[in-house]
Amino acid sequence: MSWIWPEGLYAAVMIGAFAAGAFRLKLPIAIAMSAAAVIGALLGGEGIPIRHLVEGAFGYIDTILIIASAMIYMKALQKTGLLESLAAFVIRKFRNSPLWLSFGLTGIVMIPGMITGSSTAAVLTAGALVAPVMMRLNVPADRAGALIAMAAIYGMIAPPVNIPAMIIGGGIDMPYVGFAGPLLACTLPLAAYSAVTLVYPYLRASGGGGEQLEQELRRMEKVPLSARLLLPVWVLVVLMAGEQFFPDVWPALGLPVDFVLAALSALASGSRFDPLEAATEAVRDSLPVMGILMGVGMFIQIMTLIGVQGFVVVSALALPSFLIYLAIATTVPLFGAISAFGAASILGVPFVLALLGKNTIVVTAAVSLIAGLGDLMPPTALAGIFAAQVIGEDNYFVVLRRCLVPGLVTAVWGIILILGANGVAAVLY
Amino acid sequence: MMRQPAASWKTAILLLLLSLFVAFVAARDFRVMNAPDVFAPAEGFARKMLSEYFPPLKGTTADTPVFIREGKEPGGTVLILGGTHPVESAGILAATLFLENASVPRGRLIVIPNANAMALTHNSPQEGHPQRIHFALKDGSTRVFRYGSRATNFTDEWPFPEIYVHPASGQKLSGKERSNLNRCYPGVPDGSMTERLAFAIVELIRKEKVDLAFDLHEASPEYPVVNAIVAHERSMELAAIVTMELEGLGIPIRLEPSPKNLRGLSHREWGDSTDVLPILMETGNPSQGRLRGRTDERLVLTGEDKAYVKAAALGRLFIPYEGNQLIAYRVARHVTAIRVFVENLEMVRPGKGVTLEGIPQYEEILKQGVEAFLKPVPKKREV
Amino acid sequence: MTFVYRLLVLVILALVIRCMFRERDFWKQATAALVVVPLVLRLLMIK
Repeated sequence: MSWIWPEGLYAAVMIGAFAAGAFRLKLPIAIAMSAAAVIGALLGGEGIPIRHLVEGAFGYIDTILIIASAMIYMKALQKTGLLESLAAFVIRKFRNSPLWLSFGLTGIVMIPGMITGSSTAAVLTAGALVAPVMMRLNVPADRAGALIAMAAIYGMIAPPVNIPAMIIGGGIDMPYVGFAGPLLACTLPLAAYSAVTLVYPYLRASGGGGEQLEQELRRMEKVPLSARLLLPVWVLVVLMAGEQFFPDVWPALGLPVDFVLAALSALASGSRFDPLEAATEAVRDSLPVMGILMGVGMFIQIMTLIGVQGFVVVSALALPSFLIYLAIATTVPLFGAISAFGAASILGVPFVLALLGKNTIVVTAAVSLIAGLGDLMPPTALAGIFAAQVIGEDNYFVVLRRCLVPGLVTAVWGIILILGANGVAAVLY
Repeated sequence: MMRQPAASWKTAILLLLLSLFVAFVAARDFRVMNAPDVFAPAEGFARKMLSEYFPPLKGTTADTPVFIREGKEPGGTVLILGGTHPVESAGILAATLFLENASVPRGRLIVIPNANAMALTHNSPQEGHPQRIHFALKDGSTRVFRYGSRATNFTDEWPFPEIYVHPASGQKLSGKERSNLNRCYPGVPDGSMTERLAFAIVELIRKEKVDLAFDLHEASPEYPVVNAIVAHERSMELAAIVTMELEGLGIPIRLEPSPKNLRGLSHREWGDSTDVLPILMETGNPSQGRLRGRTDERLVLTGEDKAYVKAAALGRLFIPYEGNQLIAYRVARHVTAIRVFVENLEMVRPGKGVTLEGIPQYEEILKQGVEAFLKPVPKKREV
Repeated sequence: MTFVYRLLVLVILALVIRCMFRERDFWKQATAALVVVPLVLRLLMIK
């Protein structure tokens, strides 16, 4: 009974089947992933275990509700004309101070991620708002998309809500307290770095735009920005903040209901649109991602069932100790190809346990940061896919290519924080 | 005005039918888990329901059988809780062994084998766990126990909050922890289903004036609190005596104080809200670990796993692992530790001692297996 | 709240099926079919 056999074969076949389906047969990623799961099950001697396949998909039922409802909300904002007029407003306000404009745009994208703990929500709400602003100011689309994707991930990791850290904490019985400082140390420097390197040079060079921009701005302001037009934004802010800051008195509606209520309020914001068509379009646009999550769920369940999970995790732990940091920086984001939350659960917990000598909160915060990078890893690459969508780019690899450098910097920063965890803790507490 | 080619409608209908068929097949499999496990209590056990201690639980999926054995001679009261986390089978089986073998000359014994019945009716997504485990008895019959989930079924309390704020302390945990019975104590009478269940169990401890209460668990071999006793400060003296005695019997066990800042757990909240001596115990169970390889019934019963062999060689585990963690070994640890605790109860609670007889010895369980001490039950269903 | 969420599942399920019938690409229809399964089971509170 060797280590590689048979689990190594299973892993290779499952990944190979996925790659062949997705890249050779050009099947949708969701279908390729599910097919790879079925092939893995057959190979592992489990037949076609419908119960396991469906059960695995259920791991993401709440995520797909969030995605569908967030997308419905975004469509509503678009249809009312709010996105364009708000973008025009921000450009007029800050077009002459590019550094603040770049920090401001990054911060705007982070906020919904900080509150919801979801990079998808950040990209689809705030990302969709700032994308047109950046592009009007001559930031190339790929850089605008990359900044949105990176800022969304930093938002998802920044406090108050960080789901990967909560998942790791749940796995080692550590309450989610005392994380605000370490998580800010994880994210703020990187957010500033990304803003400065990705978009600042272009914002500065654009010099506030010329006559062409002015014309563009007037077109964008066709629906004038008014308090009433902003209604769906206020409704969402109030609903999310209420649940976050007053959990004792506020009804626990949850993100999906928050999004749907805010989307409904768009009907009262003065612009007319067909809500049924808007919602259908929203679901149509989000179906590929929802399908991918279903496929990923099946894939993980079968991996676990036939022993590939243990093979992968223990192989990662088996690396020589000086390589463990390299392993964290590579395997955790790579596993994010399947799911960032899955990476936190399956790899994050054993790695944090392997580093128990260091300050656990700082280590967990840093591992969650690296797990967040999983949202850039194809095929799922939720942050990349949606960032591409909000900049109107069909091929999300265009965005991912631009994320490569800030992504690497993020991983290195995460490792530096782990190495210096006790020092960081001494400074923070 | 998209023109729909006729084929598209047909394939859509076909695919929809296929989806419904798959959903139907899966639903049939999922629903099998609703049938309750059957127990064969030893003579003298009275069967009550938990809802008798907290009536709003009546008729809900949270209600669960409570078995009480009253001794002739007065003494203290001992509570054994199995199945707080139904993925931790040794807890359920150890409780069952007491339920099906114990006689109680002095004091009272209360057994709740399926503490969170709502977590027994499903398996967690992406765990690949088996639905049931089987034991072949000497008379040719088979005993079946469900292997459920760590958490209450989604269908009992959905949706989850984003963050679970523990009501008594304000402690924040991941939202899914609200479905974890051992994070919900001391419970909330009008809270979520799991919080209500926790409240009912604390009510039982209070109303039955329980002296010594066990919450039986298992943990992953890579988790630091494993092969361990976790004791509230009030139980510490007794737990220290028991730990030494178990060492003498060749059963090394860690003793951990219940952390004061980790709220919602039985070993903390039972002690803080009642007069009981709370004890939580863990054995090492590879089938719930994150390092595990192939996940099936065999893994639950034997704990044999080459991934854990390799992890042990890497020094990643907190239990001595030599290739297996047999269910008999895990159950024997729990049963023996409980026996030693009960034998020493009189020392810390004079006049409240409890005598248990008929409990299999450590070596007996190891040699003959758990199945030797399970009783045949009337055949209810084919599985 | 469970009722509200079931309603939400019902609405999204209906929209997914609507998209499925409007879609002309077979594999995209199949992707929608994949999403239908858990939505149906959650709507009925079976899983």
